[in-house]
Amino acid sequence: MDPHAQTLSQVAHGDKKALAALYRALEKPVYRFIHSRLNDPFESSDVLHDVFMEVWRSAARFEGRSKVQTWIFGIAYRKVIDLHRKRGRQDVTDDIPEQVDDSPDAETCVAAGQEAEHVRHCLETLKDDHRTAISLAFYEDMTYAEIAEVAGVPEGTVKTRVFHAKKLLMRCLSGRIERRVPA
Amino acid sequence: MTTRDDIHELLPFLANDTLEGEERRAAEAAVAEDPELQTELAALRAVRETMRAEDAYSPGEMGLARLMRDVEAEAPQAAAPPRSGRVLAWQAAAAVLLVAVIGQGAFLMRGGGDMAEAPQPEGYSLAGAGAEAPFTVAIAPDTPERALRALLLEAGVEVTGGPSALGLYQLAPVEGVTPDEARGILEASDIVEDLTLNQ
Repeated sequence: MDPHAQTLSQVAHGDKKALAALYRALEKPVYRFIHSRLNDPFESSDVLHDVFMEVWRSAARFEGRSKVQTWIFGIAYRKVIDLHRKRGRQDVTDDIPEQVDDSPDAETCVAAGQEAEHVRHCLETLKDDHRTAISLAFYEDMTYAEIAEVAGVPEGTVKTRVFHAKKLLMRCLSGRIERRVPA
Repeated sequence: MTTRDDIHELLPFLANDTLEGEERRAAEAAVAEDPELQTELAALRAVRETMRAEDAYSPGEMGLARLMRDVEAEAPQAAAPPRSGRVLAWQAAAAVLLVAVIGQGAFLMRGGGDMAEAPQPEGYSLAGAGAEAPFTVAIAPDTPERALRALLLEAGVEVTGGPSALGLYQLAPVEGVTPDEARGILEASDIVEDLTLNQ
């Protein structure tokens, strides 16, 4: 049962209280997702605003084929892409990261993974597609099918993106520990 | 058949506990007999826990006020209720934020220019709208939005008017908070430069 389906249905009928309730329920995770991709609090706030304006305008067109939360994250995903396009910023999609033979030491990664500063730094080194996939998987605990819906790509693509994101993240974390970068 | 590469692809979704059915069974079986996968899974779980433990800022109620103002502005003219002469709390709260974060970014500036003129939104207002304002306060000009919002929440007050030409705001306690309780917290705050009791 989708916990937000009834609320969105009320929004579709012009209920502003329902829109406020939906905003309060999802504003934080949606903002966090946007911010993880833009890394600018003010721009992220603008995009969040645009997302919920679109929810208000488009609620009646929601067909219920996905969860409401997934639908809203999809809107946020596309808004950020639109912003990147306006800026002329183009992340190459799905190119394979450079191959590295040395595998990161997993034990080291366990320790580094517990340090917020290391994790934050290493997430920022990822490309947008990779960061998006790992953010949705770990911040929002989405399934790979849900991430595929948000990003509008096949499930296999999501698995590949998360796989590469994980690999790069582990390498980065391991490197931070080995270079004794302070957390 | 599930290959080792497949397991590596599934591992993040075992870490976030969303795998189901055959994929979950296959991933768990592979992890159970492979110490390297166990350590990698532990690392992924540590990363996930660390990410989720981060305290994230978000626009909160101020963002909601902005949203409601723009939603109202989009509503058909006929549906708009009569304009109130009084600035409602949600509008004023957004106005406070506008001033508080001046110089820190553009989003609120773009969103708040005509706030005092915005029509009253139907069906949405803060609890204290319409209450008498016992306090007039001056907020330190460089106050960040987060600090201001925290003070309003801690003191249990809402903005019911302002800013005036001098940058003064009218504050009223929300339901269940006495003026004395709110006053004590406001007076002790570093970001309140001046507090006057209204007669």
